[in-house]
Formats: sequence, structure tokens, C-alpha cells
Amino acid sequence: MLRLADIDLIYNAGRVDEVVALRNLSVTFERGQFVTVVGTNGAGKSSLIQTISGAARPTRGRIHLDDRDVTRLPDHRRAGWIARVFDDPRAGTAPELSIEDNLALAMARGRSRGLRFAVTARRRAVMREHVAGLGLGLENRLADRVGLLSAGQRQSLTMVMAALSAPSVLLLDEYLAALDPETTATVLALTTELVRELGATTVMITHNMDHALALGDRLLVMSRGRVIADYDGTEKSEMTVSGLIDRITGAGDALSDRSALIEQGARPRPRPGSARRRSHRTGSDWSGARGAIRSPDGSRR
Amino acid sequence: MTQILLDMLVTGLPLVPVFLGIYTVFRLRADFDLTVEGSFVLGGAVCALTLVHGWPSWLALLAGTAGAAAAGGVTALIHLLLRVPVLLAGLVMSIGLFSVNLHVLDTPTLSLGTVGTLFSGFGSLSGRQADLATSGVMAGVVAAVLVAFGLFLRTELGLALRATGVNARMARSQGVNDRRLTVLALVLANGLAGLGASLAVQYQGYADVNMGGGTFVAGVGAVLLGELFVRPSGSKLVRIVGCVLVGTLAYRLVLVTALRVGLPAGDLRGVTALTLLVAIAAERYLGALGGLTRMLARNARSATTPARQEAA
Repeated sequence: MLRLADIDLIYNAGRVDEVVALRNLSVTFERGQFVTVVGTNGAGKSSLIQTISGAARPTRGRIHLDDRDVTRLPDHRRAGWIARVFDDPRAGTAPELSIEDNLALAMARGRSRGLRFAVTARRRAVMREHVAGLGLGLENRLADRVGLLSAGQRQSLTMVMAALSAPSVLLLDEYLAALDPETTATVLALTTELVRELGATTVMITHNMDHALALGDRLLVMSRGRVIADYDGTEKSEMTVSGLIDRITGAGDALSDRSALIEQGARPRPRPGSARRRSHRTGSDWSGARGAIRSPDGSRR
Repeated sequence: MTQILLDMLVTGLPLVPVFLGIYTVFRLRADFDLTVEGSFVLGGAVCALTLVHGWPSWLALLAGTAGAAAAGGVTALIHLLLRVPVLLAGLVMSIGLFSVNLHVLDTPTLSLGTVGTLFSGFGSLSGRQADLATSGVMAGVVAAVLVAFGLFLRTELGLALRATGVNARMARSQGVNDRRLTVLALVLANGLAGLGASLAVQYQGYADVNMGGGTFVAGVGAVLLGELFVRPSGSKLVRIVGCVLVGTLAYRLVLVTALRVGLPAGDLRGVTALTLLVAIAAERYLGALGGLTRMLARNARSATTPARQEAA
């Protein structure tokens, strides 16, 4: 079980450029739950992932993983339990290193690294077995540089790396965003299979409303650093894409272009309230794009 | 010609560990550590001092290594505690170490006189034979260092070190503590510089407070030269140590030849800088040429193979 209690994540607290990424966020993920998270840019989705992974330390609040308080542990000390797949295919692997070196790096996750050889014949056999499951022929290219692989191959490899040390939490941060539709389908199939196999608590951020509804057994909608809607499996199965989009825009947030494209014509009706708030925001905003996303109009308090 | 090659070996081999350390930070960690300009001298100074105090030559070698490694540790501490870039921490250290080194030596130049060194057994041999024997001993030490380093890179710790330089964020998400590895890399790199300096001091018979000047640039130049010939990459470990060995010897060959041709010693730094520039230029513009020659070679090979098959 993963429990976040009263989390604030505030950058540059008390300064004029203060940014509130998460505000009083409390959410509990049951063991083995597969949760999808949607929301506009700046809603706090990635901050949620950062906070769980330990890459960002919350300004306030506690994080418990099962019975451990992991709030103060940095990301590399949580890596044994929490695996993460980044949105950028290049971020999750080391391009200069061979496939087997990347896999070996993941195999040592959660253990202390010593002077044992990283790649041994026995470990190579394990790697081959795991990579062969991808059906990409990578098992015969273990010595190749990862930089030679395509984005989809690299993201598939990252998935395998994430699964190697049997994590109890799997974080997927918009990891399909850079892939073409066909590859997306392949990697997605791999994901659902791995999640089922691992039984790990999975948090998946997506801009694709179809994925958000079709995958997993719980759906969170985030806005301005808070969870504004939390649907369980049955509620989720009754939800439609346009209904979900209405829920997001109802919070006064503008959809990002990417989500708007994916919604395929189910254009939300402009609301007088949100339109007014948006124009107010651009009018008072002098701090650039970030300010435009996190409105300084005080309504979030 | 033979003499040029021997000069290259006896002056170049001690630099191989030094430049291996520079490779560790410059290529594996993708960072710049200028500490080496001072830690090289510190290693040599500690080695000379312990030798003068009657320590056995092997122990003095280790003392020099440890002294320089400690300097790298201080750089790492400055970097981590004051949160300044390694480049700045190393720059501060290289300046400060000058005074430290002067205190350690107590004189700008400390001569070893007649104390026993690794190479003092060869005094009775003729010049050329003594050089041969000297380079033999050096080659033994250097080979041990290169093999040990190559094996270290293959371990889990060595792999983590290589990964942090390529993609630190990914390494952290895989559970690698990159702060600890920064310390390790700097201690290791400067320790290697101290080892090389100790070898050089024992060979030349004195330690000088100015002997470290230009080490960093020379090392980077040698690494770039080596990369022209060997083309190492993150997972090709034999090529990594091979690149440092070839690059160092090629760099020394240039310098030794320049001396033999009759250039004054004062011009050597200029030659070093030129070597660096030529290596960079060659990397930029001859890369295509290298690819072309390789392609021609492959074509020639594939053209001859069917002919041979027909003949068979």
C-alpha cells in the first residue's frame, strides 16, 4: 500500500516566483491497484510521480510505502521498491552503454553495488529470457549500444528494466507520448502483461483519454495540485471520453493541445466562467508560460 | 629512432595512470577536474619526501598515490558541501595545492640524491639498457593498473560509475547514489595521478613544485588523440584502456620528437597545445575520412573474398 498524506510540494516557497505543484494532496493506493491519472499541463501529475519516486521531496506531508515512512529517502534509495518509466525514451536508458550493461544496472537495483562483475554468464541468460519476451530480437543484440535502438525499442527495454527487480510500485509518466500509434499498442500490451505479472501498484499518467478509461481499475483527475475526482472501476467503466473531458475543463482548466487532438471532435462547450477566468489569467500574468498554467488568481486557495 | 621510442616509453609510461584518471573524469563522468594539476605534484612530493625519509620505493609509490587521492577527496567534499561545480572546486584546489606542495617539499625542488628508487638497480647498466629495464618495470606497473582498472569498470560499481556520466537521472532511478560515485571518481582519478607522478619522480630523481603545470590539458589532448585511433565507447572497456595507452604514448612521441628535432624545452607547452588542437581538428574533419578508409578496406575485403572462393 502506498499512502500520501497532506502533501504540499512548493518550489521557491515565499518568493515572488513561488510555484505550488501539489497542494494538500492525500491519496492512498491499494497494493496491486492500477491507477490512471489525467489532468491538464501543470495539474500536478508529474509532481505526483516525482514525489512518489523521491526525485522531489515534499514541502509538507508524509509518504508511506507499506509500513515504511519513505518521505526522507532520496530517489536512489527508493529505487529497490519503486520503478519509474520516463516520458522521454532517451531518459530511461544510457545510450552509450550496451543493452546488457543497461539491464545489469537495473538488476542491481535495490542492492548495494560492490565489486562483483556486473554482467556474468548466468545474468546474461536471465537477461536473454526477459528480453526475448519482447519479441524484438534484442536477445541477440545484447552487446549493441542502446543508442542504436528506436524509441519504441528503448521504451520496451525500459519496461523490462523496470520489471527486473520486481518493484512494488511502478510509475509510468506519459511514457507512450513519444511513440507512434503502432508502437504504442505494442508497448501498451507489454505494460498490461507486466503489470499483471508483477502485481505492482501502478500509477500511469496519460494525456490519452481512451487509455485513461480503458486501462486500470481506478482513475484520478488532477487540477492545480489537487485530486478533483477519483473514480473506482465501476464508475470508470460508465464514463465516456467527452464526460471525462467535461470533468477536466469543468475545473476551469484549458485542455492541452495534445489531449484536445486525442479527443477527436468531442469538443467541450466553452463555459462562460472558465473563459472569463482564462482571460483574467492572461491579463494579469507577467511571469510567462508557467504562470499561465498555474493561475495566480487565488481561486485555488 | 630506437632512442626516440625509448624516451617515449620512459617519459610516457608514468603518464598513463595520470591520463587514465583524467579519462575517468573527463569521459566517463563527463566533467572537468583541474585538481590533477596540483594533485600530480602532491603525489610526487609525498613520494619524494617519504623516499628521502628512507621509506622503501614501493611504499613511497603508495604514499604518493594516497596523498593525491586525498586531494581528490577534498575536491569532492568542496563540490558536495558547497555545491559548486567540480570544475570550480578543482580550480580552487589546483591553486591552493601549490602552497601545500611547497610546504611538503620545503624547497621548490627536492632532489632524491642517492636514495634507493624502483629504478636505482639499473645504474650500472649502459644508457640504453638502463632505459629498457626502466621501461620494463614501468610497463609492469602500468599494465597492472590498466588491467585492474578495466576489471573495475566491469564490476557493478564500475558500471554505475559509467552510467552516471552518461545519464545521471536514469542512474539514480536505478538506485545509483551518484554523490558517492562523484567522490569515488575524484579520489580514483587523483590517486592515479599521484601514482603516475610517483613513478616519474622516482625515474627523474627529483620532485619539482612546478612539474604539474599543463597536466590537465596534456591529458585531454592525449585522450582525444587516443580516441582518434581506438574509438572507445561506454561499454567497450578494452578500448577505453587502450585509448588511454595509445593516446598517452602518441602524445609523448610528439613531444620527444620535438625535443630531438632540437626545439627548446620551453616550447613543449606550445607543442602540447598544438597537439590538442590538431587532435580536435582531426576529430572534427577527419572523422569522415576515417569512415571512408574503413569503408574502402571493407570493400577491398569483400571484393577479394569471392575471388578467393572462385579460385577454390
